[in-house]
This record gives sequence, structure tokens and C-alpha cells, in this order.
Amino acid sequence: MTNSHSEFRQGHIIPPEAAPLKALTVTMTVMCYLACLAIGALILINRAVDSWTSGLSREITVQVRLLQDSDIDKELANAKALLQTTRGILDVEVLDRSAGAKLLEPWLGPNNLDDLPIPRLIRVTIDEKAPPDFVALEKDLKKSVKGSSLDTHRRWEAELTRMAGALSTLSYAILVLICISTIAMVIFATRTVLDANRHVVDVLHLVGAKDGYIARQIDSRFLKTGLMAGLFGAVLGILTFFLLGLTGTAGGGGFADASRGLLFAPPAIAAWSYGALLSVPLIATLICLITSRVALIRMLGNVL
Amino acid sequence: MVRLDSVGLRYGDGPEILKDVSFHLKPGSFCFLTGPSGAGKTSLLRLLFLALQPTRGLISIFDRDVTQVSRRELPLLRRRIGVVFQEFRLLDHLSTFDNVALPLRVLGRREEGYRADVMDLLSWVGLADQAHAFPPVLSGGEKQRAAIARAVISKPELLLADEPTGNVDPVLAKRLLHLFMELNRLGTTVFLATHDLKLVSQGKASVFHLEKGILKAA
Repeated sequence: MTNSHSEFRQGHIIPPEAAPLKALTVTMTVMCYLACLAIGALILINRAVDSWTSGLSREITVQVRLLQDSDIDKELANAKALLQTTRGILDVEVLDRSAGAKLLEPWLGPNNLDDLPIPRLIRVTIDEKAPPDFVALEKDLKKSVKGSSLDTHRRWEAELTRMAGALSTLSYAILVLICISTIAMVIFATRTVLDANRHVVDVLHLVGAKDGYIARQIDSRFLKTGLMAGLFGAVLGILTFFLLGLTGTAGGGGFADASRGLLFAPPAIAAWSYGALLSVPLIATLICLITSRVALIRMLGNVL
Repeated sequence: MVRLDSVGLRYGDGPEILKDVSFHLKPGSFCFLTGPSGAGKTSLLRLLFLALQPTRGLISIFDRDVTQVSRRELPLLRRRIGVVFQEFRLLDHLSTFDNVALPLRVLGRREEGYRADVMDLLSWVGLADQAHAFPPVLSGGEKQRAAIARAVISKPELLLADEPTGNVDPVLAKRLLHLFMELNRLGTTVFLATHDLKLVSQGKASVFHLEKGILKAA
């Protein structure tokens, strides 16, 4: 008889074919995929809110309505002069009549706007670091310009921020639910593996194996499952955003533009997106490993 | 080594399986436990290898009251006990070699370090040729010898065996008895439960008789 090493290759103490973790791998892949979508949505929402709010907070609008006894061009000139001399204002641009008409088009249609007293708009760019005193400015405008009103966009900004906050909370809640479901699935799978290998565990206990030793024989499988499911889920998630990015035209808005913004943004921003999406396999592996280890130790502790 | 005082055991609300069992195994002793089927021999052995807790009474093993042994200490006590189960309890997915080496593997020893010892023991019990065979293809007698080899490979201080010669022919039974006696001579305390009165007569050891849960010195 030869005692070559190859002849004595050690078998797995817990057989991998007993209670395979295929079902857990599939369900965890789906969970990781959903997590990637939720993370992608979260990044897009945060990025959109940043862009909207920075745009809105940089600008304010002055509206001048046409009153019966007023000369609109004179009022606009007054308003422009006042705004240009106000501290904290960087640029003033009087928009032509068509800009106001365009805003009304969705409600009134493209025709028959010539006869209507369409308000005129003045776009005002402010210094974000040292903005003007809006209350005083509004008072001055009312005094010097007939039919004027000041829109600081604060109401829109607050509503957008509130809506984005709700969507962000929803995305976080989805991520938390995905984590809880994953933990529950791993606990269930751990119990299944333990039940399927009860006779092996009994023998191991009786030959003096510690619970930690038995857990180590099993949890390496959960490590592999978590990693594989996480990688599959992340790849599917990235592929989904990639395919969405291929649909639609550039600048057309919607999912396509958002997906392109996620994956094909400048490197510093795209790296953040990829980093967040690729953290899914890492988190899935950790959840799988820690949950299975804790569950195993607790379950084994109930066996004499 | 092992002391039982007025030990009683019942499963759930059922009748008492063991009634006021008391005995003392001194270090290095060799004892037989006889009795008809259903007398409670296996239950008594399960108490001794710490797979059950007594319903009442005191069990002390290695001078430790088993009711005071924590979950963490249990494996350390079990490593000092070798057990041969009536139903062998070999792991079908492991080779005979791996089954026998299991207690050493659990201790964290490397295979290179115990390979020769396991092969020597397999040769001794006549299973060297079956080292790579898996339990499903072994005969009853071969399984029994593999189970015995697994129980003694780590040279336990206490060996408990439940019908260890139940599936082997008289010649091999005698040989296995000699193995147990040799282990006993080297210091292992041996406690064998058996039906085989012929084996008992060859053993020249103290004998306890268990009947309807009551233990008597024979």
C-alpha cells in the first residue's frame, strides 16, 4: 500500500451535496439585484436634487404684470435698474415676451397669445454666498415697479427637496427590507443545512467537536453563496442600467438619461456609482457569513 | 473516574427507564454491563457520554458533576471519552480512513501527523484494505471495526462501547476484546455493554447487570 498524499485527500466533513444552497443563491441574487436598483435610484435622486436645488438657489425671478395705466417697457427698465444696483445680484436678464408665452403654452395653446397681457419675466442670478435681502428687495420692487412680484423659488425648492427626501427614504426602506429578507432567508437556509446534516453534527459533537469548529465546516459555503449571489446581482444591476442607458436619445430625459448619468458620468462621479453598486457583493457576503455563523452557533447551542 | 448516585432517567412523561442506578468506575477499571434488550443499557451509556442529562441523581465524570458542566466545556470532556455506538454512526460520505481519523481532525491535528497511526490501527482491526472504502460498501462487521477504531484512535481515558462485538464472528470478537483489554492495560477505563455472555466470561472483569432499569452487581 502506498501512502501518497493524493490517496488521502480529506473529504468534506459536511457533504456539500446535502442541502445544496442553490435556492438561497438564486433568491439572494434577486435580492442583490433589487438592492442595486435601489442604490442606483438613490444615487440618481440625490444627484438630481443637488442639480435642481443648486440651479434654483442660484436664480430668482421677477415677474412684471401688464397693468392698464402702465408702460411695461418702462417698468421693466425700472426693475432692471433697481436689480442691477442691488447688492448680492450678479446678473439681470430681461426675458422677451415669447419666454412668458412659452410658459403659458401648455394651458392656452400656441395660438391666440398675441392679444393676451402676458407677464414679462426677469431672470436674476444671485450670489449664493452673499444673497440679497429678499424682503427688502421685494419691498423696493413693489414701490418702484408697478405690477411686479418676486419669486425666490424657495417654495419649489422646498417641495422638490421634500419629494426627493421621501423618495430617498423609500429607497433606504427598500434596502433595509432587502437586508431583513436576506437575513431571514439565510437563517432559514442555515436551519435546512443543519437539519439535513443532523447525523453528522451529532457525531461531531460526540467526538468532541466544538460548536465553532462545526460552524466553520458549514459557513464557508455561506461565504461562497453570499459572494456569488452578490456578484451576480451587481453584474445584473449594472447591466440593467447599461441597457437602459442604450435606449432613448441623449438629452431625452427619463430612465435612459438617468442611467447614462449613473454609469457614464465623469470618472470621479461614475467611480462613486460603481463603488456603491459593487459594495453589494461585499455587504451580501458579510450578511450571509455573519448571519449563518450567529444562527449556527445559536442552533448548535440548543443541541446537547 | 465515573460515579453515579441514585440516578433516574425518564424520557418526557414516560416511565422511568433507569431507577436509582448507582455505581463507581475506578480509573483503569474494566467493566461489563449486561442485560436484556430494553433494560436501559443504551440509555445508561448515553448518560455516560453526556448525550443526556439525568432526571434525578448525581453523575460525576472525571470528578465533574455533569449538571455543572457548561456547554463550552462539554467538547473538552467528550474528547476524553471514546464511544462505540450500537448503530456505528459512521459518516457515509467519508472514507473509512476519514471516519477513523475524525476525532483527530476535530482536535485540529494535521493529516500528515496522524496518517501512520490511523493506518496502523486500521491494519490492527483488519481494515487496512478498506481504508478508502466508504461505509455503505462495508459489511456490518467491518463497520463495527471502523467504529471501534474511531473510538480508540485518540487513546481516550474512558471507553464506552454499546454491543461492540454484536456483528462480528467469535474469532474477531475475541480479537476486539483483546484490543479493549490492551487499551485498558495502557490505562483506559473500559465500560462495555453487551449481550454476549461468552465475551463477558473471557473478559475477567467486573460485571453489572441491568434489568428493567435496575442495576445490580453480578
